[in-house]
Amino acid sequence: MKAILKIAVVAIVLVLMLIADVPLLPVQLVPEAHAIFGVRRRSFVVGASMGAAEATAAQRSQAPPPQQPAPAAPPPAAPPPAAPPAAAPPAPAPPAATAGKPLPLGTVVSALPAGCTSTPVGGVEYYYCGGNFYRAAFQGNQLVYVTAQPK
Amino acid sequence: MRKLNFRMATVLFAFGVLALSATVSTEVRAQAPAVDPAATQILKRMTDYLGSLKQFSVHTQNTLEDELASGHRVDFEISASVIVSRPNKLRAERKGDVIDQIFYYDGKTLTLYNPSDRVYATEPAPGTIEGMLDFARASLGLDIPSGDLVYRNAFQLLMQDVTLAAVVGKTFIGGGKCDHLLFSRPGVDFQVWVADSGQPLPRKYVVTDTGIPRRLSISTVMSDWKVAPAVADAQFTFVPPQGAKGIIFMRLK
Repeated sequence: MKAILKIAVVAIVLVLMLIADVPLLPVQLVPEAHAIFGVRRRSFVVGASMGAAEATAAQRSQAPPPQQPAPAAPPPAAPPPAAPPAAAPPAPAPPAATAGKPLPLGTVVSALPAGCTSTPVGGVEYYYCGGNFYRAAFQGNQLVYVTAQPK
Repeated sequence: MRKLNFRMATVLFAFGVLALSATVSTEVRAQAPAVDPAATQILKRMTDYLGSLKQFSVHTQNTLEDELASGHRVDFEISASVIVSRPNKLRAERKGDVIDQIFYYDGKTLTLYNPSDRVYATEPAPGTIEGMLDFARASLGLDIPSGDLVYRNAFQLLMQDVTLAAVVGKTFIGGGKCDHLLFSRPGVDFQVWVADSGQPLPRKYVVTDTGIPRRLSISTVMSDWKVAPAVADAQFTFVPPQGAKGIIFMRLK
């Protein structure tokens, strides 16, 4: 009985000490708890800022789309070398334009679907495919295509 | 005897709790705000010097860390060069596997030109570099390479919300001796290497997103600093090359 008690106590003490020493355990204080949410957006911002990132940022943000609607990110308190509400969430992948079913006007895609034909209308180049007209635009630093009605 | 055992158990338990709390409190202390004036002083000397330059140009090599969906690390490289002529001219070029752009600002309009797709967009812009950078970011979602260092009040911008500033040590970048500084703010750590003698120019900076477990960074190595480059107005004015098509900027809401 005595021995068991001793072993148990020593074990408990060891575990306690271990917990204190393993930095990954939840016992450790979370340094900036609020950062956990604001972050995705911020990382995005930082990425874009450094001068380049658009495309990469696009990839990042496309990967986990559900995280995009980040909670109101902090004001344009420019991250260090960088910037503000940089490039709006880049275009989602082309929503598999089913031919004959036009997309809503203003739909943004990051690349034209295959087989588009270009036509200038009133000085603007339009690309026609899958029942939609697209025109090129810069969304932040990124070249995207937006569905539009030729005028 | 049994009593003694209980006493011993209590003592040992107390020890355990003590060990735990001691460790935690060290961590708390380590996280407490610690802004070393020596670090902020070097940063300020650097930003003040940059802010005092009428003209400068610099080449930057940027490395963007990323992770593939498969979990593998992959880096993207971007080569950029920036020419600034205060108060109202700026030109920046970027080339990499994910980008190819030239940005022009001549004091009246800004233009983004994409040579590989031969498209460009032009917008009227505010009359100073600072105003233009604000406008480009807020209204067009556009960022300019090294834009933050171009602001005259770069120091305030960089120091915003900083909870840690430290001099890590000295090292060499491109053969020149530099002070290595570390700063931290919620969600972001950034490191700056500043030349320790002569002109206090930044030689490198690294920004790390500390809000995600992957802790991805963007590093920028700066070289070819010229603090009195020869500039001509024509460099900052965009003339559409033959065949290039005008497109639009999408406004941020």
